Amino acid sequence: MAKVKIATDWLAGCAGCHMSFLDIDERIVQLLDKVEFTSSPVTDLKHPPKEGVTVGILEGAICNTHNVEVAKQMRERCQILIAVGDCATFGGVPAMRNLVGTKEALKRAYLDTETTVGGLIPDSPELGKPLDTVVGVDKVVKVDLFIPGCPPRADAFFYALSELLAGRTPVILPPEHFVYD
Amino acid sequence: MEKVNITINGRKISAPAGSTVLRAAQDAGIDIPTLCNHPALAPIGVCRVCLVEVKGMPAFQPACTSLVAEGMEVQTETPPLVEARKFVLDMLFSERNHFCMYCEMSGDCELQNLGYRYRLDHWVYPTYTKPFPMDATHQQLLLEHNRCVLCRRCIRSCSDLTANHTLDLRKRGIEAMVQADTNVPFGDSSCISCGGCAQVCPTGAIFDKRGAFMGPDKKMAHVQSTCSQCSLGCGTKVFTRGDIVVRVEGDWDAAVNGGRLCKKGRFDPLNEERKRLTRPLLRRRGGLEPASWEEALQAVAEHMGAARAQDIGVLTSSRFTNEALYQLGKLFRQEMKATNVGLLNGVAPKAFDKPQGSLADIPKGDLILVVGVDPVKDQPVASFLVKGAVDKGARLIVVDGKDNGLAPFAHQRLEMADIDKAVDMAQRATHPVVLYGAGLSEKTANALKKLPPKAAFVALEPGVNTRAAAAFGFQNGFKPQAAKVLYLMLGEQRWDGEDLLKQAGKDAFIVVQAGYESPLTLQADVVLPAAIWSEQAGSLTNTEGRLLKINRVLEPKGEAKPDLEIISLLANKLGKKLAASLDEISARAAQELKGKEN
Repeated sequence: MAKVKIATDWLAGCAGCHMSFLDIDERIVQLLDKVEFTSSPVTDLKHPPKEGVTVGILEGAICNTHNVEVAKQMRERCQILIAVGDCATFGGVPAMRNLVGTKEALKRAYLDTETTVGGLIPDSPELGKPLDTVVGVDKVVKVDLFIPGCPPRADAFFYALSELLAGRTPVILPPEHFVYD
Repeated sequence: MEKVNITINGRKISAPAGSTVLRAAQDAGIDIPTLCNHPALAPIGVCRVCLVEVKGMPAFQPACTSLVAEGMEVQTETPPLVEARKFVLDMLFSERNHFCMYCEMSGDCELQNLGYRYRLDHWVYPTYTKPFPMDATHQQLLLEHNRCVLCRRCIRSCSDLTANHTLDLRKRGIEAMVQADTNVPFGDSSCISCGGCAQVCPTGAIFDKRGAFMGPDKKMAHVQSTCSQCSLGCGTKVFTRGDIVVRVEGDWDAAVNGGRLCKKGRFDPLNEERKRLTRPLLRRRGGLEPASWEEALQAVAEHMGAARAQDIGVLTSSRFTNEALYQLGKLFRQEMKATNVGLLNGVAPKAFDKPQGSLADIPKGDLILVVGVDPVKDQPVASFLVKGAVDKGARLIVVDGKDNGLAPFAHQRLEMADIDKAVDMAQRATHPVVLYGAGLSEKTANALKKLPPKAAFVALEPGVNTRAAAAFGFQNGFKPQAAKVLYLMLGEQRWDGEDLLKQAGKDAFIVVQAGYESPLTLQADVVLPAAIWSEQAGSLTNTEGRLLKINRVLEPKGEAKPDLEIISLLANKLGKKLAASLDEISARAAQELKGKEN
């Protein structure tokens, strides 16, 4: 049987969800019998393949135009999109920016920092433009499964993928894996 | 009591008439989720989380405010209800900052638990962006408006339980927020720091700074105990983690306080800044030096053993357990035959023949006479009850000086000389209640005796375990100048003892048993380090005569020992055999108290 293809990526997040995923430890070997990780921020291939994958996993909030592009590309190239972590599901820590406003946050970070002299707000065309509001992934693309948590527990990742591999949908996380912190 | 028959989820239930659907369900073991509801507060039905289906009603009804009626058929968890609750929760989560990961309350938050229960895994409404201020001006409490769900529990606690009316709501709709007084900084408000608001807050909107970010409740030990800051003996729940007390809460089930606590009970013990005594100290070559317990007790026993009974002076604070005071009396008064024994604080006079009233009489009163006592200062929780009764329409007459804390709330304040006027008014009331303390003079007491039998007399003792201390023979009348060997059992009492040291003879041998360093311990010949409130067990006799249990929550710090143990060790050194186990001593103390009270 062909292996199920999985691609992951991160948006405005801290990589903690990916780290938590890796905390499934030796069970990843068991998983690799059935799945192939095509691309992720921690592998050589960064982008989901054009021919598509079955499962796409996104960590992090939608913070700038680049995040929107990445989320949209992942959505186009995967059949099941999973938003993992409080940032991807709710906005999380990056959404704290909403309470001060993007302009003010940029000013504070790049101009007003105590150690900054002659600061400059980066505006290279290569960079994504910050959005006015930080939002969860579901606010720009359709999400099929949410796994909240900061980070979601390793067991939650393993549970969700195992359920999907067994063809059981929708995935209902057991209470011990359903957390916000 | 009249019963009403209803069915909840198909189960036939009989509930008292006048009970709410929520209460009836809870009594029958049926779980209905709630948020704004709190068992100690009047229900207001603002959060809509407890919605239920009632057959025949066009809309869902809040269970917390709906009363049971004969034949009522209630459903609590149907699919449309679950959907409605999710909608309510989506709305609650869509306003303000409800990110759990950096919230103090995560793990103990009722909103979070509801999110888990109804599996909210993303937000269906637009992401919220309006910031609210955070008010950190209060010394003990942090008011984080961004975490508030406007359940008004804090406001109800402030008005219904503490009767202080500091907190209220300002503005409307999305702008609505809790305010202190007329929107002044919390720290500058009329708040009396009872901390009740923090105890009832379901989210991380109000919490105490001292206990913040020390972990969720499930990682702490919870011990039921009794506050030993005044003579009321409020029931407490003490939360500890490792070797520190994180937080003290009022015990909702305690008859004395019903969950209330004051600043003295909730915060003061946790913000102690005095230096602890952790080793016995002995004066050698003119200076106080660390010594072993053996050496220190030996030194005390030598002086004590050699002294004549009339040369021994014993002065104690009332802030001790029944057991410690009983043993102190037994050792010094009975075994050593000392007569020069005294108590640091006064005692409310036993002026009335009729049985004592209890704190529970206060809310029933329609006229409250406060004579020679200032509960605002000395027994704050009793002042909450008085102010609560005034809120409900009782007349308050304060017969005391202008600076009495209840004077601003009184309908009339009278001088002691005008007691007859007060008695006149009380005679016309249906349920007059007299609160009195050590400031009650004999003349005033005689005037009050004219009150009819319907009047309840409630003594508010000064100090802490004053009732037990007095019963065991420790009263005023201590003469420091007569003592050649002076035993001061100070415990945690704040007292510099300056007057005493002046009066005591230069050659007097001074032993201080205390928890903290003070000017007095620096002058002592022997210092015996004592355990503090959290480190010893025993019982307390409150101002009503109630026997209340104090439980040990921590081990004594350093070499400090519980007061009872120190007295027992000293008794052994003096060759006096006192009862051995705590239970045995408790039983004897209780026996003697019972005998003395009757």
